[in-house]
Amino acid sequence: MPLNRVLPYAVCLVALSGIAACGSADEPTPGRHATATVVKSLVVTVTGTTVTPAPAQVDLRIGEALDLTVTIDHDDELHAHGFGDIEEQLKAGVPTTVRLVGAESGVFEVETHEPALTLLTVAVR
Amino acid sequence: MLSPAAYGMLGVLPTHGVGSRSDLPLPFGVLVVSALAALLISFLAIGVLWREPRLRSSQGVMLPRQLASMLDSRWLRRVAQTLSVALTLWTLVALLAGPDSARNPVPHIVYVWLWVGLAFASMLLGPVWRVINPVRLLHTGLLRLARVSPDLAVFRYRAGWWPAALGLGLFTWVELVATENTSLSFLRLLILGYLLISILGAGLFGRAWFDRADPFEAWSTLLGALAPLGRRDDGRWVLRTPLHGINELHGERGLVATVAVMLGSTAYDGFSANLSWATFVQTSALPASVLKTATMLGFFAAVAVTLWLASAASMALSGKGIRDSFHFVSDFAPSLIPIAGGYVVAHYWSLFVYQAPVGLALLSDPLGTGADLLGTAGVTPDDTLVQATLVATIQAVSIVVGHLLAVLAAHERAVSVLDRRSAIVGQIPLMVIMLAYTFAGLTILFTP
Repeated sequence: MPLNRVLPYAVCLVALSGIAACGSADEPTPGRHATATVVKSLVVTVTGTTVTPAPAQVDLRIGEALDLTVTIDHDDELHAHGFGDIEEQLKAGVPTTVRLVGAESGVFEVETHEPALTLLTVAVR
Repeated sequence: MLSPAAYGMLGVLPTHGVGSRSDLPLPFGVLVVSALAALLISFLAIGVLWREPRLRSSQGVMLPRQLASMLDSRWLRRVAQTLSVALTLWTLVALLAGPDSARNPVPHIVYVWLWVGLAFASMLLGPVWRVINPVRLLHTGLLRLARVSPDLAVFRYRAGWWPAALGLGLFTWVELVATENTSLSFLRLLILGYLLISILGAGLFGRAWFDRADPFEAWSTLLGALAPLGRRDDGRWVLRTPLHGINELHGERGLVATVAVMLGSTAYDGFSANLSWATFVQTSALPASVLKTATMLGFFAAVAVTLWLASAASMALSGKGIRDSFHFVSDFAPSLIPIAGGYVVAHYWSLFVYQAPVGLALLSDPLGTGADLLGTAGVTPDDTLVQATLVATIQAVSIVVGHLLAVLAAHERAVSVLDRRSAIVGQIPLMVIMLAYTFAGLTILFTP
């Protein structure tokens, strides 16, 4: 086959193998966790439409937990999908704590209802 | 293992109409390798590739005769059309008489099976919607009942792809910006409106309405150009590269707008998941829907404008006038379809794998009575197809392969349209914006 017809496919193959190699190198090693479950904690305050600290992505491993404490200035509902579908009623001014345990991989939003706000996202690997 | 209803739980801010889960960001190493691969492909293309047009519609590996005659057979089409009509009627029953809750299958049918499933099916098998579009079947059926010619039309259709661009833009707005886009009353309004417009259009312009103006037919036809399955110019079924289908598309009114919507909508979809952007929107004084609509329109405009600027630059480099760039840009718009297709696969793969089985489970109980009419209520998504490394690989590969095909398609069009001396230089601006789209697509997948 003439070179200029093979070259694009060869480049593609090199690219694919490079990606596959890098992709597997980046995969977290399924190591042994410590006997105690790792628990992270985060405190979030919501005033009006402002979330403090600003919404960010929290990383969790499957099996790790995040203790989230939310204080909000009005009555609302907290939704956290992907963690057994947590729905927690929030009372104005009362700090409410939920535990999110990483179960399936992906990025999940933690949000409130009225108004619709994203508080943070959790990336479970 | 979470129950299907849990997977289908509709959040307050669903990302694509249904579903509450997004993909993990691409690992940095994958990003770098993909970007370098795209760069390398582009440089090689300019330096090394063919100097004469090479793609011909007579090329392709012929399918075995039995398979080809099966594909051509009437019974296969009738079976597919019957299934399509049956599914449509079932969905309409759920729409009109089903519960207004997360247990209604209609959002999954519309936002997953139709929008994403049709895209994937078309990229594999060709423009399938042309065969099974239930609205087209309704039109043909009605005309046949009235014993009127199927070509009946009041006016000649002259608007090119523009109505499809508008329709696709509206649908993506509904999918990505509209709040309550899974509520039953909203869906009823949407589907009824779509049916009325289609019937009106088909009544006035005949079959030509479906060939160009229907948004889902346009989605299926343009993405279907990428399918390895196609027909040669003598009508025989062949297996061929995606480039052949793209090469058969030519510039037409509204094609640039349609491709801009296809590319811009998937890009905006990925971008809107970005946390800094979401924070900006929710803390802003302006209403969220205004900001989101403006941004989405901005993405459409950005694609159209950058594409036109690249064409103008190509024309200038080839020594032609800027006036020719409008026709030129339309002729090159098909070469962006592989990039759009790559974006679609990258963004929607895991959504489809997760939510399509959920849709099947929900479909078994269209009226919300707890029945299991299809026997599929227990179907759950398969976790192995959404394992993080596999998803990242699929995303990177689809974007890089989309870029490769786009560059090759643009090259073939350039050597066909421009004279030999300008063909290489004239491609460079196009290659630059294609690189920009590819880098943008990778970055959107990479940043949380």
